[in-house]
Amino acid sequence: MIRWILRRLLQAAATLVVVVLLLFVLMRLAPGDPLARLVGDRDLAPGEIELLRERYGVGRPVLVQLRSFLAGAARGDLGVSIEHYPDRVTSLLASRLPATLLLGGVVLLLNFTLGIWLGVRQAVRRGSRFDRWTGRLALTAYAMPGFWLGLVLVAFVSLRWQLLPAAQMTDPMLPPDADLGTRLVDLLRHLALPALTLSLTSIALTMRHQRAAMLSVFRLDYVTAARARGLPESQVRWGHAWRNTLVPMLTLLGLWLPILVSGSVFVESVFNWPGLGSLAAQAIASRDYPVLLGTAMLVSGAVVLAGLLADLGYALVDPRVRPS
Amino acid sequence: MRIRRLLIPALLCAAVPAGAQQRGNDHGSVVIIMGQEPSTPIPTLLNGSANIAVSDLLFLRLARPGPGLTTTEERSFEPQLARSWSRRDSLTLVFEMDPRARWHDGVPVTARDVVTSFARVRDSTVDPQRALLLRYLASVIAENEHRVVVKFRRAYPGQFYDASFHVQPLPAHLVEQIPRGRAFANSEYVKNPVGNGPYRWVRRDPGRQLELQANPGFFLGPPKLDRVVFLTAQDPEAQMNLLLDGTADLFEAVPPVSGPVRLARSPTTRLLTVPSLSVLYLLINQRAPGDRERPHPILGDVEVRRALAMGLDRLNLARSTYGRFALPAEAPAAQAHWTRGLVPGGPGYQPAAARALLARRGWVDRDGDGVLEKNGVPLVLRLSVPATSATRAIMAPQVQEQLRRIGIRVEIVRLDFPVFIQRRNKGDFELDLSVANMDPSPSGIVQSWSCAGRAGSNVAWYCNAALDSLLDRTIYTGDGNEKSWRSAYAMIQADVPAVFLASPANSIAVHTRYRNVSFRPESLYGDLWRWSVDPGRRIARDGAGAPSR
Repeated sequence: MIRWILRRLLQAAATLVVVVLLLFVLMRLAPGDPLARLVGDRDLAPGEIELLRERYGVGRPVLVQLRSFLAGAARGDLGVSIEHYPDRVTSLLASRLPATLLLGGVVLLLNFTLGIWLGVRQAVRRGSRFDRWTGRLALTAYAMPGFWLGLVLVAFVSLRWQLLPAAQMTDPMLPPDADLGTRLVDLLRHLALPALTLSLTSIALTMRHQRAAMLSVFRLDYVTAARARGLPESQVRWGHAWRNTLVPMLTLLGLWLPILVSGSVFVESVFNWPGLGSLAAQAIASRDYPVLLGTAMLVSGAVVLAGLLADLGYALVDPRVRPS
Repeated sequence: MRIRRLLIPALLCAAVPAGAQQRGNDHGSVVIIMGQEPSTPIPTLLNGSANIAVSDLLFLRLARPGPGLTTTEERSFEPQLARSWSRRDSLTLVFEMDPRARWHDGVPVTARDVVTSFARVRDSTVDPQRALLLRYLASVIAENEHRVVVKFRRAYPGQFYDASFHVQPLPAHLVEQIPRGRAFANSEYVKNPVGNGPYRWVRRDPGRQLELQANPGFFLGPPKLDRVVFLTAQDPEAQMNLLLDGTADLFEAVPPVSGPVRLARSPTTRLLTVPSLSVLYLLINQRAPGDRERPHPILGDVEVRRALAMGLDRLNLARSTYGRFALPAEAPAAQAHWTRGLVPGGPGYQPAAARALLARRGWVDRDGDGVLEKNGVPLVLRLSVPATSATRAIMAPQVQEQLRRIGIRVEIVRLDFPVFIQRRNKGDFELDLSVANMDPSPSGIVQSWSCAGRAGSNVAWYCNAALDSLLDRTIYTGDGNEKSWRSAYAMIQADVPAVFLASPANSIAVHTRYRNVSFRPESLYGDLWRWSVDPGRRIARDGAGAPSR
């Protein structure tokens, strides 16, 4: 098992290196001047523009840039942001990561607790009014684009009814030394709408998957046998049937896990949530190569890691796929 | 029942606005939304309007232009760090520093600070842009602790402006030991700057906000607002929503068409307009796209360029794009420039005359497809537009339609901003919709409209030696009278290097509880320290007081 894990880790590292190299080259091949916003309409002589290129390290040949980047990356230094000069990319990522982890974590938690619970309940009450109505609602929620839903929620909940703030992660006037309770309440008020926006669509998907998986398992003989043995219905449902739906749900979780670090560009923008998604969007718009590469590395790492965790999860819940 | 169970905690959360318990202060606060993040609001590291806005609250200049922005008259300037000034001769200015001025750490501001800062700014490896603007300075000397002598290489009307405006002194006792360049940008000083202005640094949360606190010992008078918070929000919807839900008090870039409609529903917000220093124009490349050695086969002809100018209805373009927040432009002079009134009236909107002019140059629609041709070549032009600019996205199809009416087919090319700039700088375009954010001094037009500017922002390589000579006389030889400016603008109009379309105003939404509200075109928040909150209209955050660091 340990050898299998080590082998998978090596594969993951190799995948990551290939992804980083590809990203590095593709970004430099893309049209657009990374110094555009800095130079703008200013009166800078070509020599002075070259000076800026040298300062930001974008004037050198691609191979030299790549060598310098890899040497820096090996030391844990991803360079300096062009758009946010003189902030270092690692400190920018570190400052944005907690916001994305929080939002992604809450969404993932809501998604996989409510989604699974509702999906199981739907399957158990197949054909009932509850099943029909939650199914319709799930379909409606899934069909709604996240950014549109976010704007609608803001228009009503924040601007019309003034129940929750329209944007930001915290109240800008909240003193940094405010007590924990005040800060927690403030955070929850600001988290509510973006988390709801992202959760509504994702819960619908999880619910549909869970319902289908449960229905396919309910028909199997071992479930009938468990019931015949007189086991309580909750044990049959959760201990026998649901446990065997874990493999498809783990696949789904593996696909959702990267949201923990990638964030959602649209939702983060609409709610001015200071996460990695909005940072990446800004980096794309301004061709801030170092930041773009840093966020891309982080997301690629998360995708690779999620795949690895999902594989480990399969091995844990299903002995048939466990490596010998 | 279950819905109610879910709603009650949510409503309880909503009913406790953060900071509500912190009342009891006589002053106030302001939360300002910025479209860009002010990451380095330090003179010599400045880039972007957000950094400049914050820097202007932290650092003063020697003097600043008066309300009329007349940059050629020393008498019209207002004292800041310098309490008075005089001339020894046509090449020498003497500034007497205000002895009351202090850095935020309590150390007096002296002539040594000014000399050190000029040395940094004039180093082209530190601040290439300002070094270029200060190229006619010969020396800056401290004669005593409070006297600075600035010597110039040549006499010109803008000397005082150059000596007083371009440099915001830094504290020599804190920055002298820090090497210039990257070491300075990464220094502790840049992370926690010490200034001399009405507000002092509190903290910056990257990607979120930057906070300043009133400097009670400010020598020109204590600021009446205790806290200034700059929020970073890039999404246009988020910007307006932050204002409308009461999180923020001020937003300086209200969308000119949709913004006023949304703000009309907010009883606590009013919309103000402030003349800006920007001009929107249709830049015409007179050289072949991507090959500056060859003239453009169509746009190299001045008569075709004149037809373009006559085929565009500036008044309607300005109104439909900016509503009531812009004036039509006829030359590179913005609303806030003192020379704007000197711009001669342009040719006006004359589509029939434009078509006739094109016909005289051989451009005729022979095949009846609505597009003019000459020697079998159709009159088709590509118009580059940055996809990120909402106003230019509105204006581009209107330009296309108006030029279609005179027989010119315009193909709109929407580009990412970095690609737009890259093509612009290489001269790889035919027409583009550009916005120039100009210097407070009208002399800044040499940057884009002189032969020398071809090394910099004159990307279309427009060059007229007669205009250069006239501008040189107007700006640099003391002949800067109104007649010369009129002639210079008329010459630009005759050459049509661009069709100047509109000069927009800053449309600023601000909470109605503030008094003494005023904005300055060259430094929007330069007078913020004079604002106060109507005592009867305080809100929870006005009593928040100064935070602990």
